[in-house]
Amino acid sequence: MTRLQCPFCGPRELREFQFHKTLPTGPGGSAYERTYERVADAERSLEHWQHVGGCRAWLHVERNPSTGAVLAVVLLGGMRP
Amino acid sequence: MTRPIPWPRRYSAWSLLRARRAGPGYWRPLWTGRTLRKAYDVVVVGAGGHGLATAFHLARDHDVGRIAVLERQRVGYGNVGRNTTIVRSNYLLPENHYFYEDSLRRWECLSRDLNYNVMYSPRGVVDLALSEDSLPALARRGNAMRLAGIDAELLDQDALARFVPGLEPRRPRRFPLVGALLQRRGGTVRHDAVAWGYARAASALGVDIIENCAVTGVRESGRAATGVETTRGFVQAGRVVFATAGHTGLIGRMLGVALPIETHLLQAMVSEPIKPLVHSVVVYVSPGHGETYICQSDRGGLVMGGHLDGFPSYTREGQWHRLEDVVQGAVELFPQIGGVKILRQWAGTNDMTMDGSPIIDRLRYDNVFVNAGWCYGGFKAIPASGAACAQLVATGTAPDLIRAYRLSRFATGHTLDEPGQGPFPVRL
Repeated sequence: MTRLQCPFCGPRELREFQFHKTLPTGPGGSAYERTYERVADAERSLEHWQHVGGCRAWLHVERNPSTGAVLAVVLLGGMRP
Repeated sequence: MTRPIPWPRRYSAWSLLRARRAGPGYWRPLWTGRTLRKAYDVVVVGAGGHGLATAFHLARDHDVGRIAVLERQRVGYGNVGRNTTIVRSNYLLPENHYFYEDSLRRWECLSRDLNYNVMYSPRGVVDLALSEDSLPALARRGNAMRLAGIDAELLDQDALARFVPGLEPRRPRRFPLVGALLQRRGGTVRHDAVAWGYARAASALGVDIIENCAVTGVRESGRAATGVETTRGFVQAGRVVFATAGHTGLIGRMLGVALPIETHLLQAMVSEPIKPLVHSVVVYVSPGHGETYICQSDRGGLVMGGHLDGFPSYTREGQWHRLEDVVQGAVELFPQIGGVKILRQWAGTNDMTMDGSPIIDRLRYDNVFVNAGWCYGGFKAIPASGAACAQLVATGTAPDLIRAYRLSRFATGHTLDEPGQGPFPVRL
């Protein structure tokens, strides 16, 4: 994994992006669970990133943390560019 | 109770003479591959630093019966052989500095305890201050340490120039070096020797070290685990300890427990050998490039590391731009190494907890324990973690030293947030 596909800017080097946090995979759960607990999934990780060194868009990224493959990048909130 | 260790071959000056008289075949392998039995009293999962140290202390200090260490790959293949070999106890929070000080005191006599030279080198750990405003923060940490009886010294610019001669802190710099916090007893330990020394000692005490044996599940009966499923069949176990740094989140998933752990990569690198330049461990947090810590190995290579890669990963493939950041920080600090080449670079998987402090506790079952969440500081903790974890497993009660490292602290609000950044492993 060396690049991310920004919906606005196209494929850009990873150093332009900032990882923010991983997300719970499902809805629900207590405040404690959503704040502290992480679902360790070796094949799928849902994350918030931001293109800080570019258009500063907030991104919803789905990745495989075992291979580094990027499965999907969409704008946060489901908007279209 | 401390059992004497029945060494097959005890290392000493006499043993050299004896070996010379006995001829070839005198020396034995450091640990012997034993066959996997069907049942054990304690099964330790993971033959890294923490797993081997736990098994060693269980066998030497407690009476728990037969012990096995099951390892998915090989002894010392994980983080115990991937770190930057730094040991120190310069923590701010009491729960942390008492624990790491216990560890540092054990490092000081580990070569004698294990009858194996782990090359503990108290060369001093220097945390640099880049402004007059960051000195009080270092002074606060140093004062907290001194109140706990741990050595700490605040260095001004002249003292820093004397202690780290290659640094020349008075030279004009973009980010001036105004002082530092020094812990003289901090330093380095040869990391591979730690894995080998613990494995040799545990093996001498009768612990079965089984390599290439991955644990795939836990079999249960009511509130207790009855054993572990492995790639080499079911192994019955009275107690199970997971010391699987870098994969504890997946162990939690295997047991159906979500843990406050996220796995990130941390890189390290070593340069080609050069003449002695850095005589201590220098830690530098540059506003431009992030963190760089640098020390020099006995062979002359500059060993460097920095901050996490920045996102969850199990790949053990470091990001190029993070390596670049670390090297830029090092060259900013020591411009004279600008032409030195990097020989090797590698990455390890780090179990980052949501407060930056470890977890040593029961996990789901009464007889299953977890020794995990060491973030990027697990190596220095090995001796204390092994002793304390063994006591918890053997007696069922956590010693005072690790009571704060219980898993429930996140739910009850008693987190030990040493860096003060909240439930985010990376916040740059």
